Amino acid sequence: MKRSHTWLIHSILICFSALTLLPFVFVVNNALRTNAEYYHDFFSIPGALTDALAATGALVTGAPLTNAAGVRTQISADDALSESMGRLTRGPRLAWKVIRPYMLNTIIVALLTVTGVLLLGSATAYVLARYRFAGHRALFLFIISTMMFPGVLTLVPSFLLVKNLGLLNTYGAMILPYIAGGQVFAIYVFKSYFEGLPEDLFESARMDGAGHLHIYWQIVLPLSRPVFSVVAIMNILGTWNNFLWPFITNTEGKQHVVASGIYVLAKSAHASNFSTLYAAYAISSIPLLILFAYATKPFMRGVTSGAFKA
Amino acid sequence: MISPRLQSTLGCYGIVLPSLALLTLFVYLPVAWAFVGSVYEFEIGAEAQFVGFANYAEYIWQDPTALPSLLNMLALTLIAVAVRLSFPLVVARLIYALPTERWRYVYRVIFLAPVVVPGVAIQLIWSGMIFSDAGLLNQLLESIGLVHWSRGWLADPETALLAVAAVGFPFVGGFEVLIYYAGFSSIPDSVNEASAIDGCTGWQKFFRIDIPMVLSQLKLILILTIISGVQGFEHLFILTRGGPGFETTVPGLWMYFNAFSFQRMGYACAIGVLLFILVFGLTMLNLRYFKSSEQLQGVR
Repeated sequence: MKRSHTWLIHSILICFSALTLLPFVFVVNNALRTNAEYYHDFFSIPGALTDALAATGALVTGAPLTNAAGVRTQISADDALSESMGRLTRGPRLAWKVIRPYMLNTIIVALLTVTGVLLLGSATAYVLARYRFAGHRALFLFIISTMMFPGVLTLVPSFLLVKNLGLLNTYGAMILPYIAGGQVFAIYVFKSYFEGLPEDLFESARMDGAGHLHIYWQIVLPLSRPVFSVVAIMNILGTWNNFLWPFITNTEGKQHVVASGIYVLAKSAHASNFSTLYAAYAISSIPLLILFAYATKPFMRGVTSGAFKA
Repeated sequence: MISPRLQSTLGCYGIVLPSLALLTLFVYLPVAWAFVGSVYEFEIGAEAQFVGFANYAEYIWQDPTALPSLLNMLALTLIAVAVRLSFPLVVARLIYALPTERWRYVYRVIFLAPVVVPGVAIQLIWSGMIFSDAGLLNQLLESIGLVHWSRGWLADPETALLAVAAVGFPFVGGFEVLIYYAGFSSIPDSVNEASAIDGCTGWQKFFRIDIPMVLSQLKLILILTIISGVQGFEHLFILTRGGPGFETTVPGLWMYFNAFSFQRMGYACAIGVLLFILVFGLTMLNLRYFKSSEQLQGVR
């Protein structure tokens, strides 16, 4: 490949990256600005940030602080810094106050769901992959057939079911259906992985008199870490993104998760305060961003493997 | 006396029981409920009334939103198919063409990163920050002197549908790029070498070799996009709530409003069943007539 080609490809890809990421840069920028700044000049950087930088500069160099007209101000650089930092972080602080309970709810729901999916999914997949018993084919078909039912078919009856079970406004309204649906993908992925494990391993374990549980804990789990992390990440991503279900099953609004919570926030009186709103959007992405940074490779593998769903 | 074989079988069933119970309760029961509910007229707390196929007939023949929402769904799905089969494909091919693995990795990470932003946040950002009155698009138009073009893009009946379809531009921050990339990177070296020896390069190689080799990925994205196009409505609920008027209403959204705003549960179930039949039919067609690259290779 010629060098000039490579540079051309880089420049096109950089354009695409910029267009993709720029909205998020504006979100962060808006999280740090006042409404007046937003309306006055959409593209300006936060005034509080320039003030904070000026104060820091004055602190570092020891030069006196001047205002925009170049006149020495009466305020010390220390005070100016804390004042401007206060303004800068106002939006994020308010947003965090609003979003903290939602964040806690999401983490509880996501962790319990992923635990259930990994436990049930791997146990069922293990049995289906390694044991031949009457009806095992029919069982797998029974499980995998659920993928042909789209969410739009079951949304209304699922709501009625959850309501009749008395689960509205509980974590159970989210966790139980999430585990029920999420385990199907997990079973599919685990089953094909477990089928690839060498039979000798199981044979010798059984000769030593190991039971189902023992084999599962001592042999299957340690060998399957990578596939567990892939399933876990895809599941957490799904839970985090689910908006409609938590939105309709939390009629009293106490168990809102981040996704439904920021929608409620955006439609509430807070929405006229742009810094709070945009800070909330930014904060809502942080947990998954950390997960993504920490586990980039399983994330990528998960995405390509998770795409089987068709 | 239970034989060991039977005992083992019972043990297996014991382990899969929780999975089966959850699936039966939270998937199969709602599915059955949807079909049964669709022939009743009922609201929560009231007596259900058997109405036969009246819900279906009403939706198909009398509902004023039925045809416009179907056309909206068709338009949005076609646009979604067009963009999801082109933009991410080109970007994935460009990444694949880079000479060093390091840069290929960097770009894959960049284009995957936006998946950490919740979908709701993306929709709210586009409706509140980009398409709104004082939003990015109008500001850009103003700064290049086209202020008379500015409008509330999602509120203007002329532009609402296109604006909805444009959310997420340039459509490359997500799963598709990685999926296509995985397809390109699994092209055997022998194929690339043979095509180079035969003098097949550039666009010719792209259309004659690369595209056929990622056909199964294209097919996958096609099916997923069609399915989500037919049944998806969350984004429309967030962006426009189907408005202005019914300009951006789709059948799924209408189902939602019937269930949760108008309390017409049976009617909503009927719309859900019709959409299920549509999704099911389209998936079957896809699987039947759209051959994957593996099959194509087998034919050759």
